Amino acid sequence: MLKETPPPDNLVLGARDVRFDWSELPRHWVPDEPLATHLMNVLHLLLPAGERWFVEVFKQALPLIHDDDLRRDVLGFIGQEAMHAGAHQGVLDHFAAHGMDCGPFVDQVDWLFSRVMGDRPHLEGRRQTEWLVSRLAVIAAIEHVTAFMGDWILNADGLDAARTDPTMLDLLRWHGAEEVEHRSVAFNLYQHVDGRYLRRIQAMAMVAPMMFVLWRRGVRFMYAVDTELAGHRPPRVRDVRGTAARGVTPSLPHLTRKVLKYFARGYHPSQEGDTDQAVAYLASSPSARAAAERAA
Amino acid sequence: MRLPAELRRRGGADTLFGLLGLLGETMPTVAALSGVGRREPRPVERGLPLVVTEVAAAAGDVAVLRLADPASAPLPPWTPGCHVDVRLPSGGLRQYSLCGDPADRSAYRIAVRLVRDGRGGSAEVHALVPGSVVTVSGPRTAFHFTGGGPHLFVAGGIGITPILPMVAEAARRGEEWRLLYLGRSRDSLPFLDELARHGDRVTVRTDDEHGLPGPDLLAAYDGDGNGPQPGFAGGLAAAAVYCCGPAPLLALVREAARDARAFHAERFAPAPVVDGRPFTVKLAGTGRTVEVAADKTMLDALSDAVPSVAYSCRQGFCGTCRVTVLAGGIEHRDRFPERLRRDDEMMPCVSRAEGDHLIIDL
Repeated sequence: MLKETPPPDNLVLGARDVRFDWSELPRHWVPDEPLATHLMNVLHLLLPAGERWFVEVFKQALPLIHDDDLRRDVLGFIGQEAMHAGAHQGVLDHFAAHGMDCGPFVDQVDWLFSRVMGDRPHLEGRRQTEWLVSRLAVIAAIEHVTAFMGDWILNADGLDAARTDPTMLDLLRWHGAEEVEHRSVAFNLYQHVDGRYLRRIQAMAMVAPMMFVLWRRGVRFMYAVDTELAGHRPPRVRDVRGTAARGVTPSLPHLTRKVLKYFARGYHPSQEGDTDQAVAYLASSPSARAAAERAA
Repeated sequence: MRLPAELRRRGGADTLFGLLGLLGETMPTVAALSGVGRREPRPVERGLPLVVTEVAAAAGDVAVLRLADPASAPLPPWTPGCHVDVRLPSGGLRQYSLCGDPADRSAYRIAVRLVRDGRGGSAEVHALVPGSVVTVSGPRTAFHFTGGGPHLFVAGGIGITPILPMVAEAARRGEEWRLLYLGRSRDSLPFLDELARHGDRVTVRTDDEHGLPGPDLLAAYDGDGNGPQPGFAGGLAAAAVYCCGPAPLLALVREAARDARAFHAERFAPAPVVDGRPFTVKLAGTGRTVEVAADKTMLDALSDAVPSVAYSCRQGFCGTCRVTVLAGGIEHRDRFPERLRRDDEMMPCVSRAEGDHLIIDL
């Protein structure tokens, strides 16, 4: 449908008090699709630590902001990310209680965000500020990825057709919809504090390969701890062609194309994703509706 | 930067994480180099001084105002469901839904009902006259109209304001819609004249004619389209419900619309403080003391003292504003999972001191 009004970039952002019950979650929650299941399980491995790190870095960035609207967006963003981290952590806890201990991998991710990407208390003055700004550029790059993945999951009819566990699908789509809702915030924050092209794409040049490597390791890790897959060979990157063809994961060419859009000089997140669709999903999502009722 | 033991495997160090460790050591230097020539952020002014060009009265003690740029410049665009923040002459800040036509960029229209025992904001708006200047920011939306019918709009009284442009937009798009408009009596309902052109798509339901609305409020829309009020093909389950009105109506409609395809309501401002007692908070970092009034949250008091304090949900569930308490008892009022909150942590957006005094690590 041709849009006659420009997509709004002025949503009031707010966290939703969502709760999920995992007691009925099957091991392979995309039925008969262990690879798709574990590809998306990597989200649960990476996001709790990653999104808690976003929150910490964004909190530190508040004094740099000289724009009331942007500050309000950043505060809304922080709460949404905090809820995302908590929701994915809940899945990890369920895994641990059901014989899939993800601790070793999660420890690596924690180390990555706390030590490699974490605070450097010894830095002084300008070096401290620039370390903060560079991390804001990294978050803007990651948020581009989460926004197009959010857009993908909202449109992934293949997951409905595959009878994906409804609670997990709701978690992923609630999260994806909020990523679409707030997709401009990290970018706008980076533009506010620096905005130069080279630093922006430098961050993506690091983020995209890193995510690929971590994802590959994460899937292999999930295969190693999934006792139902004992004896299966570890998946190869090219196996994603199959899951993508069945519409239960995005394809590598799709992801690559989306990443490359970030390198356009005139890129802005509002060009990607559909706010109407995200808001409509949040108005129909069982978890988001229950959260709205809790807040009322 | 030492690698934790779990990153070692097969007796040797993990290659990837070894490299990441090296990367981590060099990155702050790369950051410093990347920052050469960076300009400090320039302050962005968001408030727009607008002049009142017209004030009209509408039913139900409602003042309808048009606000325009003093130099007649086009105003920032908006979509149905948007509101603006209006800074009143007294300094008070109020939010009002835009209820005009988004295609008309020459003015914003707001409609404000006089609340006689309210905080005084509505009385101040009612005192505005053509030529008065107010500072407006936004528009922003917490009640976004997404399109894609069928839609069932439910408005209570002055809650009609955000719904008016939604109805117009749905009609313009040729999407299926109905409006249920509720109030005490017909003469208390603004904009009935504007809605008349939509004919029987609009149902007015007043307490004086029909009694108070009950749980079967939406039953007429859940038929097969052959009832007294034509419903939708597919009934309520096919409809996206947009509701704006007082809290009891919202609760009623939320329940009645449980099986609707989607339910949209304007997102709530945090609830007022209930049963609060005043207390003082000492900030250990600076030695400053902050007074928290009985009707204020501790977060509000902290924000006044430390403008960069972080918070988000202001309802006690997201954990963003958590602070560590060094001394004093905590009255926890939050909804944050207890297993994730240390005993000495509190959420100042809702929680308070048990006694008269707290010392916090800020």
